[in-house]
Amino acid sequence: MRRSRTLSTVLQFWRSSLEAESEYQLNLVLECLAVSGNLAGSLFVLSLLFTGQSTLGGWGWNEALIVLGLYTLLDGFTSCLLQPNLSKIVNHVQQGTLDFVLLKPVDSQLWLSLRCFSPWGIPALLAGVVLVGLGLQRSGTGLQGEALVLGSVLLLSGAAILYSLWFSLAALSIWFVKVWNATEVLRYTLVAGRYPVSAYPPALRLVFVFVLPVAFMTTVPSQALLGQGSWPWAAGSLLMAVGSLLASRWFWRFALRHYTSASS
Amino acid sequence: MSAQSTPIVLAQGLSKTYRIAEKQPGLKGTFRHLLRRRYRDLEAVKGIHFAIEEGEMVGFLGPNGAGKTTTLKMLSGLIHPSSGELLVAGAKPQRRQARFLQDITLVMGNKQQLIWDLPPWDSIRVNAAVYGIPEGVMQRRVRELADLLELGEELHRPVRKLSLGQRMKAELLTSLLHEPRVLFLDEPTLGLDVTAQGRVRDFLATYNRRTGATILLTSHYMGDITALCERVLLIHEGALFHDGPLGELTSRLAPHRQVRLELQQPQPRQVFEAFGTVESHQEHQVQLLVPREQLTETVAALLGRFDVLDLEVSDPPIEELMRSLFQQAGENEA
Amino acid sequence: MTSARAAIRIARTLLSTQYAYMLEYRAEIALWALSGVLPLIMLGVWQNSGAASQAGWNPGQLRHYFVAAFLVRQFSVVWLIHVFEEDVVSGKLSPFLLQPLQPLWRYFAAHLAEQATRIPFVALMLLALAWVNPALLWVPTPENLALGIAAIWGAFLLRFLLQTLSSMLCFWSERAAALDRLLVIPYLFLSGLVAPLDTFPPAIKTVALATPFPAMVDFPARLLAGLPVDIGAGFLSLMLWCGLLSPLCWLSWRRGLRRYGAMGA
Repeated sequence: MRRSRTLSTVLQFWRSSLEAESEYQLNLVLECLAVSGNLAGSLFVLSLLFTGQSTLGGWGWNEALIVLGLYTLLDGFTSCLLQPNLSKIVNHVQQGTLDFVLLKPVDSQLWLSLRCFSPWGIPALLAGVVLVGLGLQRSGTGLQGEALVLGSVLLLSGAAILYSLWFSLAALSIWFVKVWNATEVLRYTLVAGRYPVSAYPPALRLVFVFVLPVAFMTTVPSQALLGQGSWPWAAGSLLMAVGSLLASRWFWRFALRHYTSASS
Repeated sequence: MSAQSTPIVLAQGLSKTYRIAEKQPGLKGTFRHLLRRRYRDLEAVKGIHFAIEEGEMVGFLGPNGAGKTTTLKMLSGLIHPSSGELLVAGAKPQRRQARFLQDITLVMGNKQQLIWDLPPWDSIRVNAAVYGIPEGVMQRRVRELADLLELGEELHRPVRKLSLGQRMKAELLTSLLHEPRVLFLDEPTLGLDVTAQGRVRDFLATYNRRTGATILLTSHYMGDITALCERVLLIHEGALFHDGPLGELTSRLAPHRQVRLELQQPQPRQVFEAFGTVESHQEHQVQLLVPREQLTETVAALLGRFDVLDLEVSDPPIEELMRSLFQQAGENEA
Repeated sequence: MTSARAAIRIARTLLSTQYAYMLEYRAEIALWALSGVLPLIMLGVWQNSGAASQAGWNPGQLRHYFVAAFLVRQFSVVWLIHVFEEDVVSGKLSPFLLQPLQPLWRYFAAHLAEQATRIPFVALMLLALAWVNPALLWVPTPENLALGIAAIWGAFLLRFLLQTLSSMLCFWSERAAALDRLLVIPYLFLSGLVAPLDTFPPAIKTVALATPFPAMVDFPARLLAGLPVDIGAGFLSLMLWCGLLSPLCWLSWRRGLRRYGAMGA
């Protein structure tokens, strides 16, 4: 499928899902409230962790804000794209409508991943960007061209890892049909990304790098934005991003081979 | 105890109006809708009257959106009427008092109440506890109903492993455990194959005969209605179009009857046009539509005038009548 | 059959059926148990920060508190709003309304059954914790254990009532679950789940104690962990809040049903 057609198709999807979502006017207010509430709470807990301390795992307050900001941004990304699309995979499997998706002349993984766009993640996205900007400014680093580019690339790589995790979990629902909560589980465990990874004890740090790579989602891009990016970490992040994308694709193909429709 | 003369279902001036939000298509309409809503009133049921005696089997007919499911839900107490009086088994359904709930049951063809992952027996046990049916009585009723419905070890298999037909039968069994006086059935044979449909119909007819339960059912399948319901209520655009035997409905909708002739010698088409509307004409076979009042004399005339090998008189299929009626209605609305 | 015996029979049947049903979803429930690791993650952060000792907590107390909070959360989690919203929207609530049993009891039984199904998984997780660091676990005194369990039950009841109240909004809005999500925020931050109340600045601590949230985690967790806690005040708070919420739930249920009937069940 040619790229321009893909793009216009995706935009059409998003336009129609936007229309569908806008029916619920209460949601907008609720979403903004939720984002501000969560942010206020996280900042509150962060401040508690800093009482009487000037650093948390070697990170200062302003620097920790950046990590929190990136987490919020990724949370918004999850709400915009990951949650609305990938939680639908379970529904498809349950109702047997995955067949229709597989019969379409579009790559099934692409279709399932980009079909919907929920505007309700936008407040979180914006809040995250604002927080990151605030943290950078207050920490005296400001917006340096190089750091910004590297940071953005590593953020994208972190987003790719996050996507792969979500997608692989959603693909799991082909076996465990009722696992509508699997992605929620992921969400609850990824909250560890709110804090810099060095704030955790060494054992947990290993977990957050190799098992649940939150380190690459928030800490590594934050370091890059602060101009403290290191090549090993950056390379590791990109490697992990590519690796996890490929793994998610392989896993999806594997899952599809085992796919059977639900009975009538 | 109900007196013989009091109908078990009494509806007077029953109406239901919904208020729904309207949205214009397109993105502009979306944002306008977000900021300022517009509503319109939808009259689903407009002042219908009817009375049903205990033990009757009544069918509710009508196109989609005519208001028959709304009426059924009002009768079972799920929806509150906007206006009018309604009494079912001597109680106001919307109050949903315990005594009333013991007297009724609702089975919906497109929604199931059995627990999906467990065998029907588990749902049966829960129902028995909820309705206060003693263990021994429960066992006996299950045996009797399972017999009638031809269910056996299916009751011990998880519901998700049963076929649609078996599931429906299990649903019926579980819903009838407490021996309700009134059965509300909303599309009970939906999606079933022909054999299963037949079995369900046989069961309902037998059940009605044996227990004298009143059965109210809605269905898209004319077969259900013709097989089970002596009386039909046709709801059309929220109003009661017809209330009476099915035969009457046919006469009312179609003042004509079909006459099919098989001739010894082929006759030209024009010859038959004097006797009625020619529906089809093929050499030896002719199909005519004859007005009811003129039926006997027309048949006598045809027999006298032509060499008829075979003659058949029938009603136009009720499905066709329904279709043309609803089509007409659709055109009127447009 | 007297109504007490009938009620016991209904309870027994509902619970056993729901337990059988939950067993079919063992894998999912195991995952849900796994998703409750937030207090343990927070323990990781708090351990490394010096802020807890500022509030007068030694590392052992910190560890026991958060593991206790983890346990409390496992057995007081409420998911009513999700199933209830689904049942209202899909119309599955209708058949329940036509049976002579208050439908909320079904959901309550389902929750109790789910907790029973969770026990082995939580036990496994505790074993895993013990393997990682034996200092994480401890044996509570019998009184603390008994009181702790009672407090967990109270916390569960309180959370169930609170979520029942939000669930009633399903009759008016199709996005009641989104509103309930808002309530999760003060629960997370004011209940002591992510930060011990003792580390709060005094002003905020007072505000928190005026809400039902500390009774949901802080109180039972401290009982279990053997930390100093005002037992009487804690149980009183639980009872008062449950007492306040029950009539509100009952009232909103009735109004909600009227609305359900008006809008088309």
